[in-house]
Amino acid sequence: MAKKNMGEILRNNAVTIMFILLCLGGLAVSGQTVPYVVYELFGRLSRNAFLVLALIIPIVAGMGINFAVTIGAMAAQISALWVVEWGISGVGGFVTAALMTVPLAAFFGFLIGKLLNKMKGQEMIGGMILGYFANGLYQLLFLFIFGNLIPLKAPGLVIMGSTGVANTIDLSTGRGFKYALDGMWKLPFGQALYVVCGAVAVVAIIALLLKKMTAKQTGVYVGVAAVLCLLYQIPAVAAIFAMVNVPMVTFMIVGLLCLFNVGIMKTRLGQQFRAVGQNRTVANAAGINVDKVRVIAIMISTVLAGWGQLIFVQNMGSFQTYGAHEQVGLYAGAAILVGGASIKRATNKQALLGCILFHLLFIVAPSAGKNLFGDAAIGEYFRVFVSYGVIAMALVMHAWGSVKKKKKA
Amino acid sequence: MTKKKSRKIIAVVLAILAAAAIVLGAMNLPQRTGDKGNAIIDALRIRTLLNATGDGVVESYVAIAKKEATAKVKAEGGGMSAIREAVKKAEEETRAQYSNSTTDYSKLDTTALAAAVTDYAALLESYDAIALKAENAYIEENMAAAQAAAKAEREKKIAAGEEVGEETEVSVDMSGFVATAEMTAAKEKADAQYAAVGEALKGIYPVLDDSALATLKDTIEKIVYTRGDDFTVKYDRYMAAGSGEALDDKMSGFMVRYADDLIYAGVGLIVAALVFLFSELLIAKLGIPRVIIGVFFILLCFMCLLYDLSLPTLLSNTLVRMGMNSIMVLAMVPGIQCGISLNLGLPIGLVCGLIGGLMTIELNIPGALGFMFAIIVGGALAAGAGWLYAQLLNRLKGEEMGVTTYVGFSIVSLMCIAWLVLPFRSLKLRWPLGTGLRNTIGLDSSNFAHILDDFWAFKIGSFEVPTGLLLFMLACCGLVWLFSRSKTGVAMQAVGNNPRFAEATGIDVDKMRIIGTVLSTVLGAVGILVYSQSYGFMQLYTAPRQMGFIAASAILIGGASTSRCKISHVLVGTFLFQGVLTLGMPVANVLVPGSTISETLRILISNGIILYALTKSGGGSRG
Repeated sequence: MAKKNMGEILRNNAVTIMFILLCLGGLAVSGQTVPYVVYELFGRLSRNAFLVLALIIPIVAGMGINFAVTIGAMAAQISALWVVEWGISGVGGFVTAALMTVPLAAFFGFLIGKLLNKMKGQEMIGGMILGYFANGLYQLLFLFIFGNLIPLKAPGLVIMGSTGVANTIDLSTGRGFKYALDGMWKLPFGQALYVVCGAVAVVAIIALLLKKMTAKQTGVYVGVAAVLCLLYQIPAVAAIFAMVNVPMVTFMIVGLLCLFNVGIMKTRLGQQFRAVGQNRTVANAAGINVDKVRVIAIMISTVLAGWGQLIFVQNMGSFQTYGAHEQVGLYAGAAILVGGASIKRATNKQALLGCILFHLLFIVAPSAGKNLFGDAAIGEYFRVFVSYGVIAMALVMHAWGSVKKKKKA
Repeated sequence: MTKKKSRKIIAVVLAILAAAAIVLGAMNLPQRTGDKGNAIIDALRIRTLLNATGDGVVESYVAIAKKEATAKVKAEGGGMSAIREAVKKAEEETRAQYSNSTTDYSKLDTTALAAAVTDYAALLESYDAIALKAENAYIEENMAAAQAAAKAEREKKIAAGEEVGEETEVSVDMSGFVATAEMTAAKEKADAQYAAVGEALKGIYPVLDDSALATLKDTIEKIVYTRGDDFTVKYDRYMAAGSGEALDDKMSGFMVRYADDLIYAGVGLIVAALVFLFSELLIAKLGIPRVIIGVFFILLCFMCLLYDLSLPTLLSNTLVRMGMNSIMVLAMVPGIQCGISLNLGLPIGLVCGLIGGLMTIELNIPGALGFMFAIIVGGALAAGAGWLYAQLLNRLKGEEMGVTTYVGFSIVSLMCIAWLVLPFRSLKLRWPLGTGLRNTIGLDSSNFAHILDDFWAFKIGSFEVPTGLLLFMLACCGLVWLFSRSKTGVAMQAVGNNPRFAEATGIDVDKMRIIGTVLSTVLGAVGILVYSQSYGFMQLYTAPRQMGFIAASAILIGGASTSRCKISHVLVGTFLFQGVLTLGMPVANVLVPGSTISETLRILISNGIILYALTKSGGGSRG
């Protein structure tokens, strides 16, 4: 029994395991120090995790990976542009942009959902091509409408002598909201660990007192927290995290999104997502308005993706006006698949694990490529290849499975 | 019923407007070379001349005033600085006095001047004709030497491993050109006539002296005659100089100038009326996207005419681009026919073709032989890759589209690594410093650049026909058509239409799908080579990634669906798509100078049509 399980686990998580090996190998070859890699990883996690988590709901609703998240990112960039134009800086600017993203992204999400309902079973390719198409409209908007028909006054947004909005929008000036979220509350890793572990222990004990948890469960939570804190006392472990400064608010928001993803599945709407995802015909027969549920799923995902992009750009401090959104869907999609999700099933854990592994590879690939082949470009191309390859493989495996199922039936 | 009626009324109104525009245009067009046109041009020319000379007159007055001021100060015994001061003051005063005074042109008697200028123009024209002939003869004489020099220069650069661009048109250095006796004679005649013009001008502005006339000579010559003059050029030149006041009847001048545009607008309105009248029928027959893109194409054609862009040149470019893209679009046909729907994994074939091309350059096989070699090598590789690809697709029936896209993308990025490490040696391919192959590899006459385009190519006016390219395109289309009529082809289409029925009739479904996929991939390899030879470059790295989409959208624009297509869809679709892109760029540049709107247009059209096809292909309303 146990042996068979092992084999099955290996087979089901082939991509994840392969990736772990790849990352370890890359780490060994790259010659980068572990503290540096961990430091980079935390930075990348804080800005990318939200986007990856935004993909979960459409997967559960049976629409595959929502490659149209690029459109949510576009909505976020439109908002960011106007916030800079109005000169609202800092946290206020970030909140304004986030609020402005909601109606924009929700409206776009509504349109995306309507269109994807017309191509059921082809949502992923449809979403991707829709992303390309929307990119054309976005260029039209930023090249010929903003800055020409609708004048922009803020310095640096329009460059004299060229048409449209400038190539880069800088958020680090007095008008932008660079580090609006990250800078609010930053702790060195040790303190952050104590805060988180303390919070977990407190919550577990409260849950015990409210009789929502058994004593055993509480014990496990408190115990794990205590062990983690103790482990950190070992100097070698502490040294690994020496460079890390944790942006607490950002990670808290990521945590909230995880809770939201779990919580929504317990509501009626969440049940409907799941029912539609499992079988549209049955769901329809059960009286669920399938089309409507799918549209809602995409709308939520698009708004979340917009927020995710805002978190991303506030961390980066500037963004490429015409390129920052293009790869969002690809990288987020590849990351969630690396974590072991399929295009039918995905959880928070898979999303976070995938995010860690995928970005670990991103950190080590260029220097590994340089050390192995004497050319950093090889590492660059390799990670792009891996992104596409992982998605292709997930699709092949899924298609393979469903074709086999059809044959059996 | 009422809808139909109102549509008819609008169509009739449009037709009446069109008729009016055409009649007006047709009446005015011949006037350009007639008396009316000549009268307009004469009036404008004299006015421009007087304006320009007027400026010269002011200069004369200034010169006189300066001289007087200097003399005056000198007489009073002032120093250099006093002189400078006085001269400056005098200049300013004189300028203020004359620049603001407007000449009343109607009081001037210009008959003598008009006659002199008309003769002068004729003489200048005849001189220019002689000069042009002599220059052409000189160019012809020295062309071969210049070409040889350019070629030697290029080879030297390649040998040194420097970056070389596309081969540019060789131009002959004109510094050694000496005027012929005939030219000097004609020039002397013209100069003599200029003296007569000068006399006439002196009659109008007595202050002009010979030295002022000498400085004005170049200006006047340019006003009177410039190489390539015709009615519109002259009209625009004089209008730009602000001489519109000279015309008594401005409207008729405008009509004659824009007579051709009136005719174009009229024809455009007729087309619009027809489209309007038969819109229902057209949409039913062709589908909304094709009607929109077709109408858009026609609109672009008229806009080119209105903006005086050379439509024949642009259409000829369209034809070239149609030819260079057509084989890749044709590659979609076997894919759709055998049931793998749009082969978005086309980049697999493309990279095989590119490898074939690279080998040709590496082995230095010149000309047509090299092109054949590239096609054979690329095709063979593509056949192998296509077979493997087909094995994959046979295990994923019904889910091809999404998978093919990402498999294609993965292959392209894998090949990015391969381009960096493949052991090619030729310096035409490699970066002289650093690793890997160049991003774009320029083809030249020692390889297969333009080998099809230039084969039997001929020109009708500015419309160039790339005969070889078109023949090759038609030959490939014919072969695919023949194949689809063969026994295997028919079986393959049966598999595409209804795999279960085909299986029941004893057709080997998997084998047919393999044949279709391999054929599609091989055509992709041939397609990229045809594309490269016409473009003059081979593009490596990420360039092939989007080409599958471009090919797919072209055949969809032609009217194919994801499960049904014909050869005519390939030709119509490629022509329309490339036509819109080719014509769109210059028109967009007139509307918004220096913009990339044409690239945006490509993104919108190409992805929009694929989305449309996807919405047609699947998805019930519920469940």
